[in-house]
Amino acid sequence: MEKPKIRLKIGKKKLIALSIIAVVLAVLPWVVESTYLKHLIVMAFVYATLGMTFSMLYSTGLITLGAAAFYALGAYASATIVMKLGLSFWYAFPLVILICGILALAFGAILVRYPGVAFVVITLLFAHVVIDLAGQLEFFGGWGGIIRIPPPTPIGPIVFVEKITFYYLILALFLLIALIFYALYSSRIGRAWRAIKLSPKLAETLGINLYRYRLLAFIVASLAAAAVGSFYAHYFQVITPLSFGGWFSINIQLFSVLGGLEFYILGPALGAVIMTFVPEFLRVTKEVEPIITGILLLVIILFFTGGILGSIKKLPSFSRKSISDRIKKLIKMSGLTKTKY
Amino acid sequence: MSAVLFFQILINGLAIGSVYILIVLGLDIILRGTKILNFAHGQLYMLGAYTVFIFCHVLKLNYILSFIIAGLVLAIIGALCYLSVFSFIQRRFTVSTSFSNRLLLSAMASVGLMMILQQGTLLGFGTSEKGMSSSFLQVIITIGENKISAARLIILLLSLVIGVGLYFLMFKTKLGKVIRAVSYDAEPVSLQGVNTFVIFLSCFSLGSALAGIAGGIIAPVFAITPTMGTQVIFIALLVLIVGGIGSYKGTILGGLLVGIALSFGYQFIGGIAELGLFIFAIILLIFRPGGILGEAED
Repeated sequence: MEKPKIRLKIGKKKLIALSIIAVVLAVLPWVVESTYLKHLIVMAFVYATLGMTFSMLYSTGLITLGAAAFYALGAYASATIVMKLGLSFWYAFPLVILICGILALAFGAILVRYPGVAFVVITLLFAHVVIDLAGQLEFFGGWGGIIRIPPPTPIGPIVFVEKITFYYLILALFLLIALIFYALYSSRIGRAWRAIKLSPKLAETLGINLYRYRLLAFIVASLAAAAVGSFYAHYFQVITPLSFGGWFSINIQLFSVLGGLEFYILGPALGAVIMTFVPEFLRVTKEVEPIITGILLLVIILFFTGGILGSIKKLPSFSRKSISDRIKKLIKMSGLTKTKY
Repeated sequence: MSAVLFFQILINGLAIGSVYILIVLGLDIILRGTKILNFAHGQLYMLGAYTVFIFCHVLKLNYILSFIIAGLVLAIIGALCYLSVFSFIQRRFTVSTSFSNRLLLSAMASVGLMMILQQGTLLGFGTSEKGMSSSFLQVIITIGENKISAARLIILLLSLVIGVGLYFLMFKTKLGKVIRAVSYDAEPVSLQGVNTFVIFLSCFSLGSALAGIAGGIIAPVFAITPTMGTQVIFIALLVLIVGGIGSYKGTILGGLLVGIALSFGYQFIGGIAELGLFIFAIILLIFRPGGILGEAED
């Protein structure tokens, strides 16, 4: 039997779109003048990655309300390692990944067994406890947080002082994570996740080990969150427990829901971009912002369950289907074909 | 540790635990009856406290009267929440919608509601702590060497009265029977000619009223802030997990356990107590996935 040739299945339209996006992303920091806007762009990437971790767990039928937990853990672990042990960011980063990987394994091994209320509640409590602990312990700076975290040490001529270098660092990190996620989603593992989400019982009868696949999703998602957490600590150079608490975990799920829950990579990215820029341009005060966010969340869930991308996708496919249905009906009525049963 | 201190901490723990029980019973009735996990429950509790504050402190009504009003007001607010948000969510559920998907939709909607309610209260009343002073609650009863503040005893007494009332409602009346049937499976009950929509609505009102009553009980004793709802919902969820979903006895046991443990924990190890409780809940989950008395759901 001839081996099927491996081809990249990228259409012409998609290729053009992708190259345009690539050019825009590469040029963006040079076009944008204001430092504040650059900061928002960097944060949009961080939020998009966090949204992707939520979507990854959602793709296996698990709902986490503690997506910020490993983000905070990554940030705190990285800051502590760099400041207490005197290592540079480049050595601390793999260490953070290792530490958070072990934590995610230990934590996930217990938790992933119980999808449903227990998982939702325990993840929520976990985020709460992590933040509470960071605030209570003087070792982690207490409620005042850790300040003056050193930026990554320069590699050759690249110095991490300006926002532009940080932009390229987070862009690289984001693309790497997105690529890994994409590879996972399009592999056998991703298909298994989708099967689990569709029907856990059916997936189990097909020989998919629910526990292992869910644990894998939990670990990968936690690692991605920890990676951007580590980046955030050295980018912002100040971390306080409250910057990960409050509404933050909830905002993360909003990114995914707004963009589209069924679009595991594009959805959170779009949602994060919208949620980062729109409140800034609306210039609403901090007091009113949660109310607007809450109303937005309610409206999307009640009326546009698919999110923005889901709603866009629904429009053309709906008309296409109805047209083809109508043509089929006409053919049937005219008696041109004899249907075989 | 002296016996006097022990006794006082115990009474404190029992009082706080009984408030948790009321909150969690409300949460549990809603969760089992309508399959909705309502994170805004803590905010309803907060609104209950504010209602009592308004009626008792500002309008100078009798405490017991304003307490009953708080229950009624919160029942109405709960019904409004259900009609405006959760009934739409529920309409989207089909038979094939998995339990986790139902949870996701309802949890996210309730989180949106939570943000609106909390921030709305904050805008309306300001961030400052509100306190009520009621003269009869300042009384300290002395039994031998032990001194108990009347407020704690009243908390215990009121919780007990409401608990007994709830027992009669759930197990001795027709409404309670139908609510329990709907909690088990809503489809066959609607086939028997019961209007399930009304039952869902009454589940929600009942649960919200319980949260409001809990807030009303706590109002004269503790400071009232807009963020008290978020603080309490974490503990309430912990009680739900420890006690077991779908077991009213488990909820009562879990509430008392958590209340006493937290009361002793705060006294002796400080704020780390919550972490200890959390670790206990996770370890418990390994051996009893459904909580102490509950059954694990699939």
